[in-house]
Amino acid sequence: MTKEERLKKRHRAEKRFRFYGLTSIFVALLFVIILVQNIFSKGSSAFKKTVISTEVFFDQELLEIQNGASQEEIMEADFYDIMIENLIKAYPAKDRDEEDELLKLFSGDAEIEIKKAFLNDNNLIGQTITLDLTASDDIDQLHKGNYPRDLPEERRRISDFQLVIYDYFVENKKISKNFNNYFFNNGDSRDPELAGIGGALVGSFYSILICLLLAFPVAVLASIYLEEFAPKNKITDFIEININNLAAVPSIVYGLLALQILLATIQLPRSTPLVAGITLALMTLPRIIIPCRASLKAVPPSIREGALAVGASKFQSVFHHVVPLALPGTLSGTIIGLAQALGETAPLILIGMVAFVVDIPSSPVDPSSSLPVQVYLWSESAERGFVEKTSATIMMLLSFLIVMNFIAVYLRQKFEKRWN
Amino acid sequence: MSNIKIKSKNLNVYYGDKQALFDVNLDLNEKEVTALIGPSGCGKSTFIRCINRMNDVIDICKVTGNIEMDGMNINDKDLDVVSLRERVGMVFQKPNPFPKSIYDNISYGPKIHGKGETKSELDQIVENSLKKSALWEEVKDRLDEPGTSLSGGQQQRLCIARAISVNPEVILMDEPCSALDPIATAKIEELIDELKKTYTIVIVTHSMAQAVRVSQKTGFFHLGKLIEVGKTEKIFKNPDNKMTQDYITGRFG
Ligand SMILES: Nc1ncnc2c1ncn2[C@@H]1O[C@H](COP(=O)(O)OP(=O)(O)OP(=O)(O)O)[C@@H](O)[C@H]1O
Ligand SMILES: [Mg+2]
Repeated sequence: MTKEERLKKRHRAEKRFRFYGLTSIFVALLFVIILVQNIFSKGSSAFKKTVISTEVFFDQELLEIQNGASQEEIMEADFYDIMIENLIKAYPAKDRDEEDELLKLFSGDAEIEIKKAFLNDNNLIGQTITLDLTASDDIDQLHKGNYPRDLPEERRRISDFQLVIYDYFVENKKISKNFNNYFFNNGDSRDPELAGIGGALVGSFYSILICLLLAFPVAVLASIYLEEFAPKNKITDFIEININNLAAVPSIVYGLLALQILLATIQLPRSTPLVAGITLALMTLPRIIIPCRASLKAVPPSIREGALAVGASKFQSVFHHVVPLALPGTLSGTIIGLAQALGETAPLILIGMVAFVVDIPSSPVDPSSSLPVQVYLWSESAERGFVEKTSATIMMLLSFLIVMNFIAVYLRQKFEKRWN
Repeated sequence: MSNIKIKSKNLNVYYGDKQALFDVNLDLNEKEVTALIGPSGCGKSTFIRCINRMNDVIDICKVTGNIEMDGMNINDKDLDVVSLRERVGMVFQKPNPFPKSIYDNISYGPKIHGKGETKSELDQIVENSLKKSALWEEVKDRLDEPGTSLSGGQQQRLCIARAISVNPEVILMDEPCSALDPIATAKIEELIDELKKTYTIVIVTHSMAQAVRVSQKTGFFHLGKLIEVGKTEKIFKNPDNKMTQDYITGRFG
């Protein structure tokens, strides 16, 4: 082979390699785009809800309270009759059956929404106001175009008559889309139009907080001890190997462990962020120890020697010099560990976080859901409205993960000291 | 004849099973510069690291024999190494400033030893140390810049200033100029000349010329043994030992 031929061959090999590399990146990107596009197209509609603008007349005869009633009086008062009387006027229905079908177009919370309006202004008796009342899931999905209306009636959840009313609403511009505050503020519900991730958000927050509070100090102290103080011998080697093993244990095993020890033996309350946090902390511990030790190891020995040589004690050289230098790497490792914990589902299902919880937990010992479990729960539900809610929850989860990973990268790049 | 500051008696050092120093008996005179020369791996660093007990950080390292400083046995297991290292400072082969400000690099030692209670006292220590290490003029306007932003030679002088800052009696220097260019080296050598008025200095060097220029006494090591020690002039003009002769004339090493 001549020199020129060899040169050509080498250039060809380089070109081929470039091509392979670019292709793999392209394929990977394609998958990400398909995934994100899929989730967005399904989920983005969940951030809006369909509302029917309805005239509500506060008839004194139907209410047992007066203008200027106090908060408690209003809370206790019955707004059911007011609701029925006003909703059936939204469309000229001919008989009881038609009225019933009309009522089903509104969400189960119509009474509460009317009561809230009165709570805001307790002088409404005798007046008529226009309220945007949340539509039922069926109307919501129909209006968002997620529901096919050309199916035969018996295979549809919406009757022909309800379609007529819907078209009447559309024609009279009574139907519109608002920001879906319920999605963020409410807990879970059987009615998709009322279901929200409020409970799951708070549950996840408590779980991750407890996980952080337990795992971070233990992991950091363990790493510092192992890396800086422990004698290097068979025992520490054995511990090191097992920490790596623990990080690779499937998360469901931690769930089983928690089930047996935390729930069965210690009898902590089921389905609570407390148990979830402890379980996630166990799982996250080795995943924080590993990057923490790596960043301690990355601090050059010359820094330690420099400190020792001016008469710093071992303890001072570690805590004044080594630990601060290892902190950015440790923090970013911790955040990535927490991000993994945030997306963890299997162990939480085992400790009973799949329970159907309507109330938003007010403390870590209240039953609660969490974001990934909520995704799992809703993905199992039959109602069409939960499809968009599932995707929207995934969007929320992904955005938290992206933000956390971004912070981790930022910390690493901004604060990591360069040494020569 | 000057006083003996440090005296090693039958010093043996082992790394695990491997013996690195054999019965080293070496006296270091007060306020003098002693140069240690010898081929790579002969145990020069090992020897000076015994003087500030830096070998303690190496798990497998074991030291037997005596090193006395002013009659106190440095190698005593009960000795407080922190106060020893306050008295015996060290400058390393590669400059290793802390990744902190120039000011913090120098004030760190005094702070942990409780010297310089007030800010102004610390300021004074920092200024004096930098002046003694001939760095003050170059950095006085940027004391809050990171020490790592200085040039290699400046970093090494910063490390010398850091060693001086706790006011030690002895300064150990392990090839302090090996990472420096000739101009920076000349500056450090000038500095050593100045420092020997106050401190007892031990310097490890691979440069015969440097040993001749800065030291009053020279010790030649070979394979863990101290082959010959004496006045620098004598060692370089007419050494007693054939091996020393061969080494300084560059016939091996
Ligand atoms: N941490 C260590 N573990 C094991 N052996 C070591 C260690 N440090 C040094 N040694 C061994 O001890 C011997 C002396 O090493 P030392 O570093 O004192 O040599 P030196 O004279 O300073 O060499 P150089 O001029 O290359 O710096 C060498 O054979 C070396 O392999
Ligand atoms: Mg050496």
